[in-house]
Amino acid sequence: MLLNQAKLNVDLVVKNISANSKNKLRLQELGLIDGTKILIKHKSILKNTMLIIFNNSCFVINTNIAKEIEVNYV
Amino acid sequence: MYKILLIGNPNVGKSTAFNSLTKSDEHTGNFHGVTVEQKTKKIHFQNTDYEVVDLPGIYSLNTYSFEEEITKNEILKNKTNNSINLVIIDANSLRKNLYLCQQLNELNINYKILINNYDYFKKNKNKLNLEKLKNALNIDVFLINAKKLKLNENLIKNQQKNTKNYNYLNNIINKIQQKINKSKIEIIKALNGDFSNLNNEEIEYIKSFNSLVVQARYKYIDDLLLHCVEMDKNFVYGLSKFDKIFLNPVIMFLGFLLIFFASIYLIFFTVGAWISDKLTLLCNSLFVTPILNLIINLTDNVWLIEFFSQGVFSSFFVILSFLPQVVLMFVFITILEDSGIISRMAYVFDDFLSKFGLNGKAVYIMLLGLGCNTMSTMVTRNMNDKNLKTKTAILNPYISCMARLPVFVIIASTFFSKIAYFIIVGLYILGFLVALILGLILNKTVLKSKQVGLLLEFPPMRGIDFKHILQVTKTNALDMLKRLTGVIVSVSIIVWLLTHTDFSFKYTQNISESVLYFISSKISFLFTPIGLNNAGIVCALLVGIMAKELIVSTLTICNNATSTNELINSLTISSSVICLTKASAVSLLIFSLLYFPCASNIAVLRQETDKFTTVFALITQFTIAYIISFVAYQLVSKGVIFAIISTAIISIIMFAIIFVTKKIKQGKCLTCGKCK
Repeated sequence: MLLNQAKLNVDLVVKNISANSKNKLRLQELGLIDGTKILIKHKSILKNTMLIIFNNSCFVINTNIAKEIEVNYV
Repeated sequence: MYKILLIGNPNVGKSTAFNSLTKSDEHTGNFHGVTVEQKTKKIHFQNTDYEVVDLPGIYSLNTYSFEEEITKNEILKNKTNNSINLVIIDANSLRKNLYLCQQLNELNINYKILINNYDYFKKNKNKLNLEKLKNALNIDVFLINAKKLKLNENLIKNQQKNTKNYNYLNNIINKIQQKINKSKIEIIKALNGDFSNLNNEEIEYIKSFNSLVVQARYKYIDDLLLHCVEMDKNFVYGLSKFDKIFLNPVIMFLGFLLIFFASIYLIFFTVGAWISDKLTLLCNSLFVTPILNLIINLTDNVWLIEFFSQGVFSSFFVILSFLPQVVLMFVFITILEDSGIISRMAYVFDDFLSKFGLNGKAVYIMLLGLGCNTMSTMVTRNMNDKNLKTKTAILNPYISCMARLPVFVIIASTFFSKIAYFIIVGLYILGFLVALILGLILNKTVLKSKQVGLLLEFPPMRGIDFKHILQVTKTNALDMLKRLTGVIVSVSIIVWLLTHTDFSFKYTQNISESVLYFISSKISFLFTPIGLNNAGIVCALLVGIMAKELIVSTLTICNNATSTNELINSLTISSSVICLTKASAVSLLIFSLLYFPCASNIAVLRQETDKFTTVFALITQFTIAYIISFVAYQLVSKGVIFAIISTAIISIIMFAIIFVTKKIKQGKCLTCGKCK
């Protein structure tokens, strides 16, 4: 299940990142590696942008990145 | 001389530490990627000179945006010359921050760790055992407050040689070496983004291990932190209790508009105007009148008296009277920036901006542009997509910067005194609208952005730091004084000389006989359709390309005014060199908002993009300024119907030019469009 389809405020776990190599590496280097717990805190009005929490920090990502993060519900 | 490099993730307090170490006033802010170029300053400590270097924030040596490349190159360049590397890390996100440290370890780069923001960390029920962390890392670690950091012996004494601990990568390196015949060091370099001496196939093979490498590094960091740090499980760095309010798009949008318009009212028409009046009175009584009296007493030479009164003092003090407004506007931007509201705006408006081919980071750049377009154009460097960066850099000058403020206030107060506030607000809105519409056009045509990913760390909200506000006030006031005493007075003197010298190099009081007036009058016919067919105005607009404040200073010189009030009165008197009607005033306001940016902005645009883009941006800006001024002028002077007809004619001509250019470019016949 892709991140941008997941529900708000529900614990998720990263299954795979299929983003292009540059985005993928940066996400991983920020701590978003397979098995990391992740939570969507907020989605913008058009749901193009979201606030996600991982590695005890909060990040803004848009749907172009979010759609390439595969997650499972915990 | 030793170099002290300040390294670290974005928004951890590097620039704040730089300011404290060097007693500087460099721009700091609570946003990801405020510093986009390295800043250096020399300091002296214990009989030795040090050069402190503030580097743009970097998460990893595998760079992601243009400014990260600068930092990486600087770190690697100084690897061998014993620079003192101070890695500033945020106590609240130790795990993420230590990732970069681990990469430095792998490359055998020595460094010390300075942990900032520890108070916030402790306040949120987190615990850190510093001694255990030092032992685990085997590196000097210090707790600091970046705002109060001073150079001390501990920071500069010989750095502990790091242990080159990359055993956790041994398995991966062995696997790579089975296929690629390279040394361990070369592979380590490649795993940290340095692919020199490798062919494409080897690079791709090494990159295929990226995920494993990252996992191995984090595993190592987790083991390291296990006994040193106890984090509250619910602690999230970045979110605050006020975010329920700030993340609501309706509240954010309306709130921002309300605060922005209220600030303009306060800055330009009440508090700012009051301080400005007092400053003018003070300057007149302390400087202008006594100095002019002194000159009059010393000489009866009219040239000399007029030179000082008009060429030097009037242009200087007319612009100086806007100093309070300019400084207050910078304070407004600083409050938005420091509090973390801009980051919330970047998030909320990302949706909206994506429709125009921009992203949330453009909010930060545009808001900085309200202060200075040159600075904000430079910040486009923190964008990781080339087309997005170019587009934002092209659109940025449409946002009205503070240098245009004197023109707006003077013209709006002269011709629309009762609705001056709405005129100024309207100009700001017009600038934003033009930028958005042009963004949309560029996105659909020449600068199509692929689906660009936005990835931005969300900073925590912070209270207002009055010390920082005072510092910003001081810095911007001094900057404006520097500009005034430098470029503005120098160019004003040249303008005065050129407007008071005829072709036989003799002094003339009749400006219409002057050299500059003659040159400007030869091209002023071009401005007839927009109601600005006046050599004085054309001259002011030309000089304004150097610096926008010079538009007002040139108007002052041309109309022989000695104060703001005299200038305001002279603009409506038909015998003045520059006399405007309401329609031409509207046209001048719009044209000065939208035409060419100032010379320094053009230089930065060229530096951040390329020659073609710069020329394209300038032509587009002039054309847009001309068309909108034309429509506004026709609308005010001749009514709606005439404006529609003339706009339609201009549109047809524009489309014809675009059509012909396209066909010529394609090498096709202009009549049938098929044969070559």
